[in-house]
Amino acid sequence: MKKKTQNALLKGQPPTKGWSVMSLRNRIAFYYTIATAFLIAIVFTTIYFMVEKVVYKQFDDEIKSEISEILADSNISIHNFQGFAKIRDIDDAHNDNDHDDKSQKKKKFPVDTDFIQLVNSTGEVMNKSASLSWCVLAFNPTHSGTAYFNSNFGGTMVRQAQVPLTNQQGVTEGYLLVAMPLKNALIVLHDLQKIFFFSFPVIILTLFILTRLIAGKSIQPIEKVIATAEKMSQENLDQRIPLPYHHDELYRLSATMNALLDRLEDAFMREKNFTADASHELKTPIAVLKGTLEVLIRKPREREQYETKIQFCLTELNRMGRMIDQLLLLARYESIKIKPHIETIALSRHLDTVIDRVRPAALTKDISLTVDHAENAMVAADPGMLDMILENILSNAIKYSPSGSLIAIVTERTTNAIVCRISDQGIGIPQEKLQAVFDRFYRVDESRNSSTGGLGLGLSIVKKLADLQQIKISLESKEKSGTSFSLTFPVRGFNS
Amino acid sequence: MRLLIIEDEPGIAGFLKDGLEEEYFAVDIAYDGKTGLDMALINEYDLLIIDWMIPALSGIEVCRQVRKAGNPVPILFLTAKDTLEDVVFGLDAGANDYIKKPFEFEELLARIRVQLRNKNQNDDSLSAGILTINPVTHQVFCGSNEITLTPKEFALLEYLIRNKDRVCTRSRIIEHVWDIHFDSDTSVIDVYITFLRRKLEAAGAGNIIQTIRGVGYIVREPGVS
Repeated sequence: MKKKTQNALLKGQPPTKGWSVMSLRNRIAFYYTIATAFLIAIVFTTIYFMVEKVVYKQFDDEIKSEISEILADSNISIHNFQGFAKIRDIDDAHNDNDHDDKSQKKKKFPVDTDFIQLVNSTGEVMNKSASLSWCVLAFNPTHSGTAYFNSNFGGTMVRQAQVPLTNQQGVTEGYLLVAMPLKNALIVLHDLQKIFFFSFPVIILTLFILTRLIAGKSIQPIEKVIATAEKMSQENLDQRIPLPYHHDELYRLSATMNALLDRLEDAFMREKNFTADASHELKTPIAVLKGTLEVLIRKPREREQYETKIQFCLTELNRMGRMIDQLLLLARYESIKIKPHIETIALSRHLDTVIDRVRPAALTKDISLTVDHAENAMVAADPGMLDMILENILSNAIKYSPSGSLIAIVTERTTNAIVCRISDQGIGIPQEKLQAVFDRFYRVDESRNSSTGGLGLGLSIVKKLADLQQIKISLESKEKSGTSFSLTFPVRGFNS
Repeated sequence: MRLLIIEDEPGIAGFLKDGLEEEYFAVDIAYDGKTGLDMALINEYDLLIIDWMIPALSGIEVCRQVRKAGNPVPILFLTAKDTLEDVVFGLDAGANDYIKKPFEFEELLARIRVQLRNKNQNDDSLSAGILTINPVTHQVFCGSNEITLTPKEFALLEYLIRNKDRVCTRSRIIEHVWDIHFDSDTSVIDVYITFLRRKLEAAGAGNIIQTIRGVGYIVREPGVS
């Protein structure tokens, strides 16, 4: 299953189900909105309940003062209740104390007035205010002590207090019920509720749209990255992602990707050049052999002519064979991770062996080789690979040196390494071409003719081998006065 | 017919010269683009064979410069580059034909003949009066009788007949029939003309090569003069 998903991703087809199809901007907007919705819901609820509490508290306070007024007016004492008979008409008593104009109003709108009711301990109505007319306030005997609660009578929501009336023995003989209509408060609370309910989705929706817009705006550079990447292919690697204005993470992403593309393009270019070069280098000798032999058999010829031509073909074949060997060697070092067998070896001994091997070639050009060994220079290297490096560099030096010149080989210790320097007095390498000499098939002399016998592969093999063994290879050259190769061996080989 | 080969690989240049000289061509070789371009612009060649990857100046550049100089000489590209883009690029640069390395020598010869063929000519054979010459087989016929000629004699006759009814100056004859290594002593032409006339008259073709005193020679279609 996992593999399947991976394949789909590799092919650039996103899985078609679930969250994964949601675009990043939508997802950012979605998560942000959910979080905010949660927060807003909490805030709204808190506000609502706080307002409600404040409102009821105010009612309760009012009722409380009303109760004490009633008690005072009716000569009732909560803790010294002496029976319902003692109570005068609660309604009148209460109304008498009110201003006249106000009491007039109250009678016209009984709903706005306070409701007062007295019940005995069993809940039987003993007395009630006129404002209640035929209605009865709800009595809940389960409450002990003074209780405040909402109740409903005759379709009117009221805030109601229930005060127990106890006699001197502490026995509850009745209850005083006082209620105030909640109408205005309820309208306020309902309005608040309505505002919250309607504004919530609007806020959430607006927030979602805004977040989506902002998210879209901020990830716009990603769209550019995608658009650029889509345009890119192996043949067309010259596209680069435009860098965003702000130096943020997306800027870094774009810059990093551009750097990656630079490296990729470079690698592809090298590979393309290599293929082109390899095909040229291999096809040319084939063309030479084929053409020479074709021309040779077109007409009958002298024996001598056959011999010269066949000799020529053999030389060409040998050259081709050498090139194929080196190409295969190079391919092997590049394809498989070959591990060098690093040993601690005496550099001087290997130098001497290799010098002996190349001496005949040097002698034919009357080139003298001088060696200056550092005492007891032990280096960590693969013996076979080291020989190949040294031989390649030395035969190169001989190849490009004039007759009668000198090649100096010096090994010396620096504070933390051993350096082997091979300097010739040859034709040198122009400054701008110094780096390219390690490229495959690169030859400083652009005419790819075989007069020097070089194939352009030697130094790339040297570089490869040196890299494998962590030998640092550097090159100094002055045109027409000579080239100097330095091999710097890693510090662990320093054994003194 | 005189050819210039611009090719840096001595092996290829070598067998091309050997093989083409056996086909009675005069062959010059340039080993780099710059020399090649100079030679192509100074001398009069009947065909250029140019390798793409050559030092100093690329084959493409040589080709462009030759065309820029208004030289219509046929150009054959010879290269190891073999992708479609390369072929198109080469032909667009002004080459007449394109041959990929490695190639068959016979194919190269055929392609050279195609480029040397006159525009209104259906096959490769050339004629003047009752003389016909076949540049493929290097045979010369007078009516139905074959005349045996040496390579130089053949090349000389071929050049004169290809330019029939036009005066061929001595210097042009030297340029087109002999290669660059020949010193400019043009009296050798007279010697070869004498040989040719002798052989043609013996075969009954009559004296079709006429001398324009102080200038050169001309082959005229009988009846035109």
